[in-house]
Amino acid sequence: MKKDSEIISKPLVGFYNFSGCSGCLLTILNCEDELLDIFGAARVVSFLMANRGNIEKNLDIAFVDGSVTTKEQEEFLLDLRSRTKKLVALGTCACYGGLQAMENGRSPFISRYQKVYGKTGPTIVQAFESKPLDALVKVDHYQPGCPIDGNQFLFAYAQLVRDLPAKPPLAKVPVCTECKWRENECLLLKDKLCLGPITAAGCNARCPSNNTGCVGCFGPADEQNLTSEINLLKSKKFPIETIERKLRIFGGARFANEAKKLLRK
Amino acid sequence: MAKIEVRHVARIEGHAGIEVEIERKKVKKVKVNIPEGPRLFETLVLGKTPEEAVSIVPRICAICSVSHRLASITAFERAFELKVPLATKLLRELMHYGEIIESNSLHVFLLALPDYLGYPNAIAMTDKYADQVMRGLRLKKFGNRIMEITSARYTHGENPNLGGFYRWPSRTELTEIKKEAERLLPDGVETVELLRNLHYPTSMEEGLIFMCLNPPTETYGFTGDSVLISNGEEKPIDDYRKITNERVVAHSTAKRCRYNDKPYIVGPLARMNLLGERLHGKASEAFKRCYSLTWVRNPLYANQARAIEILFCLEEIPKLVDRLLEMPPAEIKEPTKKSGKAVGAVEAPRGTLYHYYEVARGYVRNADFVIPTTQNLDAMERHIQVACENLLETEKTKKEDIELLLEMVVRSYDPCVSCSAHLVNITYKK
Repeated sequence: MKKDSEIISKPLVGFYNFSGCSGCLLTILNCEDELLDIFGAARVVSFLMANRGNIEKNLDIAFVDGSVTTKEQEEFLLDLRSRTKKLVALGTCACYGGLQAMENGRSPFISRYQKVYGKTGPTIVQAFESKPLDALVKVDHYQPGCPIDGNQFLFAYAQLVRDLPAKPPLAKVPVCTECKWRENECLLLKDKLCLGPITAAGCNARCPSNNTGCVGCFGPADEQNLTSEINLLKSKKFPIETIERKLRIFGGARFANEAKKLLRK
Repeated sequence: MAKIEVRHVARIEGHAGIEVEIERKKVKKVKVNIPEGPRLFETLVLGKTPEEAVSIVPRICAICSVSHRLASITAFERAFELKVPLATKLLRELMHYGEIIESNSLHVFLLALPDYLGYPNAIAMTDKYADQVMRGLRLKKFGNRIMEITSARYTHGENPNLGGFYRWPSRTELTEIKKEAERLLPDGVETVELLRNLHYPTSMEEGLIFMCLNPPTETYGFTGDSVLISNGEEKPIDDYRKITNERVVAHSTAKRCRYNDKPYIVGPLARMNLLGERLHGKASEAFKRCYSLTWVRNPLYANQARAIEILFCLEEIPKLVDRLLEMPPAEIKEPTKKSGKAVGAVEAPRGTLYHYYEVARGYVRNADFVIPTTQNLDAMERHIQVACENLLETEKTKKEDIELLLEMVVRSYDPCVSCSAHLVNITYKK
């Protein structure tokens, strides 16, 4: 039995998901060896995917998976922000809008919505273009990935529940760093399209280690040179449309627009 | 008028609610509400290459990401008449077993079991049922490990694509999978026994139509080019639109399906009802021990079906690995065609999953996905209605008990709401 004083000192934590595949919350449930410790290190008061009878109250840390695509989610997020000390964006959807944001600004949302649901779509939600969390509220910590990496999450979680800084050390550097650690032969040298040089590390360079180019699913690295990557890909004769399309899939609209300007130069 | 409303059904993947309107003890209306935020995947793949589409579509849903990947690969390969070597097919099958083990054990132990043992979640169960929770986590981890070795990651691994695998797993990795499957076999047997000995409520019982893919080799399995229907019909997957009849409803961002204007069921219970006789070994023994005609009427038995499927996979994996070890690694095959259209289907953990694509000159021009949960929603509503009608007859039933039961009905389908739409909420208005 734990003493009452011990229990009280544990932070109050909630896990939420908006529009996404729930892969980031699943990644937490996939930490099979650490799962009991994850639940033991904090008082988890809301985790709909894993728990019945959740309580919505003031929190120390809220973890959010998914992007915002409905009015209801927007209202919930604003409320959540007002009652949590820290807000953590889990995954590329929450950090950058996710791959559901890839068409933002290229065609009207309504035309895409009607293509899927017809003219008289569902009335249950008021849907709009996918937004990352920080389009609406302040985010204290970003943990990118599609999905997030379990070890990176555990590092951040252990820090956050102790009220320490949680930036994953690898988000600064690109996938190339981890790829070199794994002693892979560079795919770009073999003329294969790879977004490793500009994508945040943390995945252990999974795709290049499987002989396939990085698709960019962790979003842009802090320390990357987009101009240089684009010039490199252009010099290898990849069509501009192909480069832009690849950057758009996970990079989100902002990153894609930046790339677009550079591409036309 | 009274209203039962479960606004957020817990322990499912995504967001769903249950709403029941009752007037003078008669159920007037049942709705499984799906307020999941739309992401419009059918438009996201347009203008992409097939390889890019294969990488995008698993993001529809993390828990069945391998199935989405396989359904899209199958569709593109059918569209391009691309034939892959047997070794590639077998490695895909192994990866698919990994997903079935992971998803079924996640559902059985973490999502379903707390209801039957009277807990809010699986972690809380460790006070009395630590052995069971650890068993579930071992199985789940193994399923994930198979996917990591074959697909490159637990979720959304990019190793499999059109034509095969970019990297073939090493003999050491394959042997590790075989040994672990053998080691965990007793866990598979115990899981079936655990599920068999639970008490299953009966108030929702009603027989509905079942459907699943017919594996080509007269075995139990998760692939096929035709659909078996419990009324005795068999239809090619090319007729998927006529089988599923997808429609849009106001209360759900997931579409709805009916067959012959009737609700139908896909998933583990459908597969066991239609293919259970084909099982061998310990899985067959387990099936014979568990199965009864109740399985035709009671959706909660899907949990036993999931346990038997875990056992099936654990028994098949060593045989599958032995065959793979005798074959040279298969190279990834490039398609020779750049245009075509076709549907591909696989049995996702939750049921038959269809992906349809039209490709012109190397780019996707049209896409349509029909998701298992979408197909099950009408059946879910029907079983909720029956449960409410029966429970209203017995005045004694408490509101909390009705709510829990309705949630259990919804959960038994293991709805994957990201795929289609998360929770149940019952509110009585007097």
